[in-house]
Amino acid sequence: MIEVEHLTKRYGPVTAVQDVSFQVHKGEILGFLGPNGAGKTTTMRVLTGYMPATDGRVVVAGHDVFEQPVEAKRRIGYLPETPPLYPDMTVREYLQFVAKIKGVPSGDRKSRVEQVMVRTWVADMAGRACGKLSKGYRQRVGLAQALIHNPDVLILDEPTAGLDPKQIIETRRLIKELAGDHTIILSTHILPEVSQTCDRVVIINKGRVVAVDTPHNLMGRLRGAETMFVQVDGARASEAAAALAKVPGVVRVAPADNAATGAFEVESEKGRDVRRELAKAVVLGGHDLLELRPTRVSLEDIFLSLTTEEQPEEAAS
Amino acid sequence: MNNVLAIAHKELRSYFASPIAYIVIGFFALLFGWFYIGILDWFVRQGMQMGPMGMGQSNMNVNQQMVRPLLLNMTVVFLFLLPLITMRTYAEEKRSGTIELLLTSPLTDVEIVAGKFLGAMGLYAAMLAVSLLHFGLLFAFGTPEWKPLVTAYLGLLLFGGCFISVGLFISSLTKNQIVAGAATFGVFLLLWVIDWIGQGMGPRAEAVLKYLSMTEHLDDFVKGVIDTKHLVYYLSFITFGLFLTVKSVDSERWRG
Repeated sequence: MIEVEHLTKRYGPVTAVQDVSFQVHKGEILGFLGPNGAGKTTTMRVLTGYMPATDGRVVVAGHDVFEQPVEAKRRIGYLPETPPLYPDMTVREYLQFVAKIKGVPSGDRKSRVEQVMVRTWVADMAGRACGKLSKGYRQRVGLAQALIHNPDVLILDEPTAGLDPKQIIETRRLIKELAGDHTIILSTHILPEVSQTCDRVVIINKGRVVAVDTPHNLMGRLRGAETMFVQVDGARASEAAAALAKVPGVVRVAPADNAATGAFEVESEKGRDVRRELAKAVVLGGHDLLELRPTRVSLEDIFLSLTTEEQPEEAAS
Repeated sequence: MNNVLAIAHKELRSYFASPIAYIVIGFFALLFGWFYIGILDWFVRQGMQMGPMGMGQSNMNVNQQMVRPLLLNMTVVFLFLLPLITMRTYAEEKRSGTIELLLTSPLTDVEIVAGKFLGAMGLYAAMLAVSLLHFGLLFAFGTPEWKPLVTAYLGLLLFGGCFISVGLFISSLTKNQIVAGAATFGVFLLLWVIDWIGQGMGPRAEAVLKYLSMTEHLDDFVKGVIDTKHLVYYLSFITFGLFLTVKSVDSERWRG
């Protein structure tokens, strides 16, 4: 449904996005994750045809965004970072205007506007001027605006920003509901949002794609292996380490960071559960096993490790 | 075309939802009324003086001696009021981010610019319509010719169209309404006085500057003459202004 190939965007000498490629399949929710200034908004603006790319190609619903912009835009609903509202229009007037310029046939406009207002919970504010809405309502009117022409593709730049917790849950539920009929890209810097709503994640940092995977796979993928935390009584730690290393399936044994002597991180081959063997090896070697647990890597850790890779490498070496 | 009208309608609505339309139209009505009374008074006294002197009233012409100077004088007022109409057109959309909605909608740049132009022209026309009231009074109590009045209004529409197209372009260059307004006023003023320095620069330069002058082309319309030369001047001026606006919006995209 969406194909992005080697997308590069430069502002003068500054490269905002470099060689970004990914695909989104029909009905999927893709999370676009990255710290502020990573190039999320720039990428989305290129996808929506707001600005042209310096290099590369974007095809949305079969139409090249640069070559057939009008056709592509007909199929895209876009919620920018700041909802693009006209403060002096009422919510209903505003949505009617958007419906008009998005090409909703005049006969369907009225019912479509009412329908979308109900769906995004703004119907009670229909007669209120957009400029007088609270942040949460603005965001939802922005969402309504993106949905008005029932587009194939929804591009949402931080859709839950500025909402209260209840609204966030409702909005996420709405996005999930929309996913079947619509293909959705949403950007966020909030991690739980990605694991809760997205089918796949693109992690972007400094304008480059760092990883593309499902949230589930990303969890297990940090080092391409399972990691176990093992702590033995500190007395003969090095002997214990040697014993652990001999266990079949173990790839690497290293002293754990920030822990007492006798604490190790044991990495094993992917998909192989070595907990029993590890316990046995420790006990048979005559050591006292204090702790043995798998270290689950949260998406947050992945995110941090992926996006802060550059400085720590220098610092560590 | 529907898209153009949708934008134009939105523009007009926002003029009337904000104080801008009322301020512009209100001050225009006030100033026009003021000028009208002044010139009418002069015209009437002139007539009374000429009567007893035996020159008769046949030499007096309402169109030539009243309508024409009145409308030519009013163009100065447009100089001040039209920047108020155009300054927000693009600057405001850029500042508030609504430009993102327009540029990601299935509209072409030309449709957006044309819509905004029509919207501003709509307000300008509404403003001019106020002045028709005064001319209505002339018809009620006198016998002016209506044809020169029609060509005069056509001329005024074209004249204002030129200013509006330039104002749109300038508004598209900035996010700041005040900057847009001030620059627009400066450019209008320059266009206004462009032929003032012509005389000292030799006949050729004088002719060129005179041709470029906005008001120069208006006079024939107000006299009741539609000359293709002037039509071409105004229409090409408007087209050029709108063309620059389209290009400016487009280049803005590239610069981001």
